[in-house]
Amino acid sequence: MRVVVADDAVILREGLSRLLEEAGFEVVGLAADADQLLEVLERSQPDVVIVDIRMPPSHTDEGLRAAKIIRQKWPEIGILVLSQHVNTRYAIELLSAGTDGVGYLLKERVANLAELSANVNRVGQGGSVLDPEVVDQLIGRPRQARNPLERLSEREREVLALMAEGRSNKAIADRLFISEYTVEKHVKNVFETLELSPSADDHRRVLAVVKYLNGQ
Amino acid sequence: MTRESLRMKAKLALVGCAGVVAAVPAVWLAAHQPPHRPTEPGAVLTFLVGGSLLGSGLGSWRARPDNRLGPVMALTAFAWFAAQLSEASSPALYTIGTAVQYLFIAGFVYVLLSFPSGALHGSLDRVLVASALALALGLQVVAMLWGNKSGLRCSASCPDNLLRVLEDNGRALWLLGLQRAIGGALTVTAAVLQVTRWWRGGAAQRRAQAPVLVAGCLTLAALTVTIVDDLLGGPLGSLPADVFFYAAATVPGAVLLVFLQRRLAWGMVAGLVVQLGGPNEPVDLREALARAVGDPSLELAFWYPAEARYVDDDGRPVELPGPKSSRRSTLVERDGEPIAVLVHDPVLEHNAELVRSVCAAASLALENQRLQAELRARLVELQASRGRLVEVTDAERRRIERNLHDGTQQRLVSIAMSLGLLQAKLPAGAAEAEPLVAETRHELELALRELRELTHGIHPPLLTERGLAAALEELCRRAALPARLDAALEDRFPDQVESAVYFVVSEALANAAKHSHAAQVRVAASSRGGRLVVEVADDGTGGATASGGSGLRGLADRVEALGGRFTLSSPPGAGTTLRADIPCE
Repeated sequence: MRVVVADDAVILREGLSRLLEEAGFEVVGLAADADQLLEVLERSQPDVVIVDIRMPPSHTDEGLRAAKIIRQKWPEIGILVLSQHVNTRYAIELLSAGTDGVGYLLKERVANLAELSANVNRVGQGGSVLDPEVVDQLIGRPRQARNPLERLSEREREVLALMAEGRSNKAIADRLFISEYTVEKHVKNVFETLELSPSADDHRRVLAVVKYLNGQ
Repeated sequence: MTRESLRMKAKLALVGCAGVVAAVPAVWLAAHQPPHRPTEPGAVLTFLVGGSLLGSGLGSWRARPDNRLGPVMALTAFAWFAAQLSEASSPALYTIGTAVQYLFIAGFVYVLLSFPSGALHGSLDRVLVASALALALGLQVVAMLWGNKSGLRCSASCPDNLLRVLEDNGRALWLLGLQRAIGGALTVTAAVLQVTRWWRGGAAQRRAQAPVLVAGCLTLAALTVTIVDDLLGGPLGSLPADVFFYAAATVPGAVLLVFLQRRLAWGMVAGLVVQLGGPNEPVDLREALARAVGDPSLELAFWYPAEARYVDDDGRPVELPGPKSSRRSTLVERDGEPIAVLVHDPVLEHNAELVRSVCAAASLALENQRLQAELRARLVELQASRGRLVEVTDAERRRIERNLHDGTQQRLVSIAMSLGLLQAKLPAGAAEAEPLVAETRHELELALRELRELTHGIHPPLLTERGLAAALEELCRRAALPARLDAALEDRFPDQVESAVYFVVSEALANAAKHSHAAQVRVAASSRGGRLVVEVADDGTGGATASGGSGLRGLADRVEALGGRFTLSSPPGAGTTLRADIPCE
């Protein structure tokens, strides 16, 4: 899988590309800011772009804005946005424009090679990735009684969290050491309890879940 | 009573007695005049005009000893009484009376042109007064060198003119006609001059001098009509002259009235002293001084030595009127140090000694007020410096956050990456190294998390990037209690205001979670009328105070430094409501 990395810090850019190559990805381009990234993409389109959210010139949300442009121009490129802060609002802004091939992760997650290659692959294949910490903020936050989430069982909430992270039923089953059939049953229960229309597609349900959680 | 004022009293009494002595024969003559000159004043008018001149002259003299108008009016009274000698049947007295018959008119011209200072200022003034004198006395005497009886517009029964040396009644009449023609022009000029001067003065000046203007213009107008009527052969009879005399009688009274008004103001100085020396009830010093000097537009400026400039009551800088301004300023000093400046109407320049007395009487009060103004100026400065401090603190927080993000955080992430790489490259079977690396990575993750929370607490990037509404939303999402946000904030606000509100809400949420045992918190933020209001209310146990190490004191400082209000309401058992209200324009 071909990957382009955009980060203004040299050590992170280089470190990340070494990790990616170690994990078997082909790093076809490096960029220090959003403009450079778009130039690189004009020449050749990779499968996945990994972009730091905070880059020159304003050091605010350049990565997010670049992601929007990339999504419009080259919808087939997967985008993984990295951030040093947990920022639920940015994650939701990113996913709201479509969850296919989009991910939002804390930067330090890349240090886990297995996780990194799984996430890059998922985004490259049109799936979505949401950092567990963001999901934790959405699901784990304190709520008033009578909230529908309070009616979910512990296991159902675990399934909901993994769903929100963008994992497929199979991945959830592997993670929780249960059968895929059981996962399906839990998912159905969760959707019914939260009064969401069931969606067979692993990818599209992320947005529905995230939007629901954010609204609560 | 000082010797000075005793001497003054004696002088005035003497002049008064002399006036009465002069008045008696004059009135007697006017009452017993032969019916040969119908335009001469009767006994009543003689008494009125003379009495008015003498009385008002003495009164003005006493009220304003340094002003020449009093003596000039008293002198004019004598000229007026002397003029009545023209009614005498003795040729010598008749001659003297006729020679000085119109001298009093010159006195009036002087009074009207020199009012209110009593001194002639422009050369035009001097020319006019000199001409009046030359016409009234000089030309009259010259005409008397030729004329007699009808030649001096007197009937055949008049006594002989002792000054006559040549007999030419025609020439005398021609000279008298010339005297009246020039006199008429001069009268009109004086009237115009008086009106324009009055009009050019400030509002206070116009109001103060109005009585003299009205009386003066009436007198000069009646005099002009009298002269014209006389030149035309007297078709109106004695009417214009009578009007002129009555009008003239009011002029000294008007002058005295204006002076007495000022004298009343002098009385106000005494009132001012009593008022300022009274028990400690607050006195509006500006108003008291304005009343005392009779200028409602009076303003005060206080000396602020720290910055060597003048400030107003509230400690804000003031500009003093320049030389071209329509206002004047009077400096008040105490022990050689400037205290304050009175900014006032130019009319007070004619009454400088009153202003000086008022300033002297009020100097202690002014010094007190100056100290207060200085205090307020320092407060204004302090407020500004507190605001700057908050600004600097915020900028510093942003800089630290940025440095941590770009430096330490990135370096730690890079170390985490190297560890990840190391873990991948460990040869199979390095069983001892594997858990060590995993543990190191875990520790590193914890360090990164702590650092993340630390930098977030120093300055949340979202606040700069997406504004207050978004940052408050994120705060409520992260809160350890169910928090409902009610924010209608479309715009961005000044950085310090956004930061202050953010930290207020952040601290309030943390306190609510830690101490209140609340089930939920409501956060409301709105902006109206240039103020940003935020309220955090929980349903907990209440009883919170802003003292102690709660962090609320620091927040209150921060809010107040921005000119805002910070209130905490936390009755036991009824929840805690924290409110900040900050101006944001």
